[in-house]
Amino acid sequence: MVKISTNRKRTLAFVLLGWVLLIISDRVGELRQYQGSFVAMYALAIASIILLTGYSGQLSLGHSALMAVGAYAGALSINNLKLHPALALIVAALIAGIFGLLLGFTVARLSGPYLAGTTLALAVSLPTVANQFPILGGEQGIIFDIGTPPSRFGEDFSQYKWFFWISALAALISIWMLSNLLASRYGRVFRALRDNSVAAQLSGINVGRLKAIAFSISSGIAGLAGGLLVMLISGVSPSAFPLSLSFALLTGAVVTGVYNLKGVMLGGLVLVAIPEIAESVVSRIGGSEGFTTTLPGFMVSALLILAVLFTPNGPGQLLHHHKKKH
Amino acid sequence: MLEFFTAVLTSLSTGAIYALMSTALVLVWRSTRVINFAQAGQAVLSTYIGYEVTTRSGSYWIGFIGAVLSGAIIGAGIDRFFMRPIFKRVKSGPIVMIAPVVATLGLLGIIQAIVGFVWGLNYLTIAAPVSTEGLKVFGSVIAFSPFNLMVLISVTLSMILLTILFQKTNLGLALRASAYSPEIAKLSGIKVEAIRTIGWALAGAAGGLAGMLYVPGSYLYPNSMEVLLVFGFIAAVIGGLDSLFGAVAGAMILGFAINFSTTYISYKLVFPTAFVILILVLLIKPGGVFSSKKGRKD
Amino acid sequence: MIRNTRMKRFSIVSAVATVGALVFSTLPAQAATPGVSAKEIKLGYSGPLTGSAGLVYGKLPGAMKAYFDHINANGGVYGRKIKLVSRDDKYLPTLAATQTTNLVLNDKVFALVGALGTATHSKAYTAAQLAKNNVPDLFVNTGFSGFANKEKYPTTFTILPSYAMEAKIMAKFIKDTPTLAPQASFLIAQDDEFGVDGVNGFALAGHKFTAAPTLYPQGALTPALAEGALTKLSVVPGKPVLVLFGTTDSTATILKAAEKLSLTTKFNWIAGSVGGDANTLLALGVKPSTINGALAASFFPDAKDATDPYVSEFMEINSKYNKGVSFDNVVLQGMNSAMLTVQALRAAGKNLTRAGLISAIESKGADFASAGLVPLNYSGTSRVGYNGYWFGQLNEKGELKPFGGKLSIYTTDSSSNSAPTASSYERKPVPKNGVPTNS
Repeated sequence: MVKISTNRKRTLAFVLLGWVLLIISDRVGELRQYQGSFVAMYALAIASIILLTGYSGQLSLGHSALMAVGAYAGALSINNLKLHPALALIVAALIAGIFGLLLGFTVARLSGPYLAGTTLALAVSLPTVANQFPILGGEQGIIFDIGTPPSRFGEDFSQYKWFFWISALAALISIWMLSNLLASRYGRVFRALRDNSVAAQLSGINVGRLKAIAFSISSGIAGLAGGLLVMLISGVSPSAFPLSLSFALLTGAVVTGVYNLKGVMLGGLVLVAIPEIAESVVSRIGGSEGFTTTLPGFMVSALLILAVLFTPNGPGQLLHHHKKKH
Repeated sequence: MLEFFTAVLTSLSTGAIYALMSTALVLVWRSTRVINFAQAGQAVLSTYIGYEVTTRSGSYWIGFIGAVLSGAIIGAGIDRFFMRPIFKRVKSGPIVMIAPVVATLGLLGIIQAIVGFVWGLNYLTIAAPVSTEGLKVFGSVIAFSPFNLMVLISVTLSMILLTILFQKTNLGLALRASAYSPEIAKLSGIKVEAIRTIGWALAGAAGGLAGMLYVPGSYLYPNSMEVLLVFGFIAAVIGGLDSLFGAVAGAMILGFAINFSTTYISYKLVFPTAFVILILVLLIKPGGVFSSKKGRKD
Repeated sequence: MIRNTRMKRFSIVSAVATVGALVFSTLPAQAATPGVSAKEIKLGYSGPLTGSAGLVYGKLPGAMKAYFDHINANGGVYGRKIKLVSRDDKYLPTLAATQTTNLVLNDKVFALVGALGTATHSKAYTAAQLAKNNVPDLFVNTGFSGFANKEKYPTTFTILPSYAMEAKIMAKFIKDTPTLAPQASFLIAQDDEFGVDGVNGFALAGHKFTAAPTLYPQGALTPALAEGALTKLSVVPGKPVLVLFGTTDSTATILKAAEKLSLTTKFNWIAGSVGGDANTLLALGVKPSTINGALAASFFPDAKDATDPYVSEFMEINSKYNKGVSFDNVVLQGMNSAMLTVQALRAAGKNLTRAGLISAIESKGADFASAGLVPLNYSGTSRVGYNGYWFGQLNEKGELKPFGGKLSIYTTDSSSNSAPTASSYERKPVPKNGVPTNS
């Protein structure tokens, strides 16, 4: 048997996944393509949480704000700088990453709940700031137009499929790069930070700098996800990044395993599918208006609690253990 | 001059309510190391119960007692039947930080859905037991009413009671010991689990109290305590999650900062001010203003 | 083997189910006109049902549905029953985009009606590709003037007069009223498209406020902030005009702060059409003596005025089909839009198509019967619905009576600085039993 390095194996797995998604995207209807784009986007955002929390042990309640930074950067570069949309997405990731680096250095000394509180305050205040500067479009926001699919794909190539291709490709490439990073020395260093920062420091690791780096990379990924989000809703506005988005990302990360990246696609799927399932169940069983309005929220929350109770480390963690045993 | 005076008065009132929420969060943090987002749900549910009791009995004070009592019961129930199973499954690593946060968020959603279903999705009001008209000082009316005074007195009394409880009673000693070092506490015979539940009960009671003091000046609806929770948490962090005194101090600092910046600079700065104050405090003292690494002082 | 076989099973089953669902859920062939069958017309609504915006606007779809139920009980539209599918977007643009897409692709509605919110609907319009699929977007519930732009929103028809129109007419009213014109004037508004549109409208009308407008973040106007704002204004001499451009809960908070500071008679209160809903203000605890004398702009008859034929008709339908919901401006607005929708569907004829519906409103919409006391302006070139206001004064019972005793209607536009003009518009009589018979 030819010995393939784990890095090559990983690359092959991603390429294979990419082909599978490509084929699937051809067979499903527009609605599923659109939902699939959201799954990819959420999966990417959840990956940023896994890097930050699962690997470097920092809890952030404010990733919605980081997504917003990327989103606005991307929208502005399309509208004001007239950049190509692909470049705009890269700009989104870069600007968010720089912002995250600055933020990361600022909060490097903070632990657990103090970091959580700071990121929470960031999450609620950043959207308000966006409202202040006319260049950011105020409440109505700025349009983000990724453009129509290239004409060589033919008439039948729907806009939703185009969204899906872009979303999935961006997510695949980024998550592949991230998993390479985490399999390397950096991944071990991050985990050392998480598990015992005193020991890490004693062995020569500059804890503050590495925490900031982790924060920066995580923010960059979140910024890219933010750019994808506003591509999907065709515009950015402050209200697209509420605090509940931060919480949704955390939930997705917990439900699918915060320790490694294997579960992110499932996490994205959970975030998109569970509200839909709840709503269709409710519309089927009907009932009084008060009932049908409040039941979806109830079901979503209940399902999430069950998920936390029964898979607190995510199915990914269990699969990982299984592999190790052999 | 009037503006300054008004800002001081409204800051006191605002800070007092934040103090109750931050105290509740600190109580839970110290006993369980959990950031309890369900606090907003517990508070709102106990307040709805208080509303129900007030409407049926015709008396605010009976409803008040109802809210505080139900808050305590709900808090205890959540610890006993919800948090314990979660902690049984989640033992170590960063998941310990994040899973309870998500679980309490889920609980918040459930409580909000139940409350919305039972009482409906519209604004409810609770009439204050004393006048809400501004008091007259030197001929002009100030932004401070007998009700605001009642709020301040209630909060101060509660803080004094809690401090006495923690400092002067055996129960208080047990609470502090269980939070500081559960293993040693267990060895000296303290039933750590039961004590922790009492901590949650106290936090729940504080939440119900906060609701009954907040709603007469505002409105009651399923999401009504969410902003209070956010500010309560930020206040708790500012004060350092170590002590009750820190919780109150943090709340007052936050209340004053927000009211003064909105009065003198711009109304849009409500949330950015909170962030700026928090960052400033944590840059100087990463553990909050009144934290101490050495020993527990309260 | 994974020790926990239940976990393994769950993982495998879920993976298979996911792939299966993705692969096998291709859409069936598109029906000729989506949402229309021999028996049924499906309409869609996306707006806030829960959350803080849901508290103010949550009644809207229920009111529309109640009216549609009434029509269905009376033969429907050429025998077809109307079904309204409503989806909750919690006033969030991301949810609005996905829910509206769901309405078009999943529920396959024929048309959208009453979509609510500017930031939300502007995103949803593009995301759900309403223009590409020619989905009619009827009577959007927002005062944002941008939605009347035919190039950007080719299938959209507005109904509410824009906030800019309201501000222009308010400015003219202040200028023309001898008790108000010489006073200092101030504006407290919500810091989003609602308030900002209003600020622009006042600027277009050339009205200069004595101080810069106070803008508060939506949903964050605490009593403390309101008290601070009023204290600052309390030292202004005379009886300043204070314009409140926000939702009812914020308006109520400001009025209650005025009660606390004994400033209720200090100001000439002017409430915007959204926040001036007296029913809701009283329900939120504002004292009747406070709203007594307050001025409010409106384009509808007073929701409390049971002598108005439209109001009484809608009240009857409300008590029959919408039990337990109190009748107020929001319910009135919902039923009115529903009645316009039914007339549009009738005017489009028995052979119902999306393009046919749009051209029906363009050619006949201006003559539809509606509760509004101001004209409808639909035409081949205009997507603007109501474009005017009248001014009234509230009394202790919360009734809005025309200012000065006589109803004076003014109409204007959203973007020029030409002054509003008086209008002698008389609305059409209410259809018998509330059931339109137009064609």
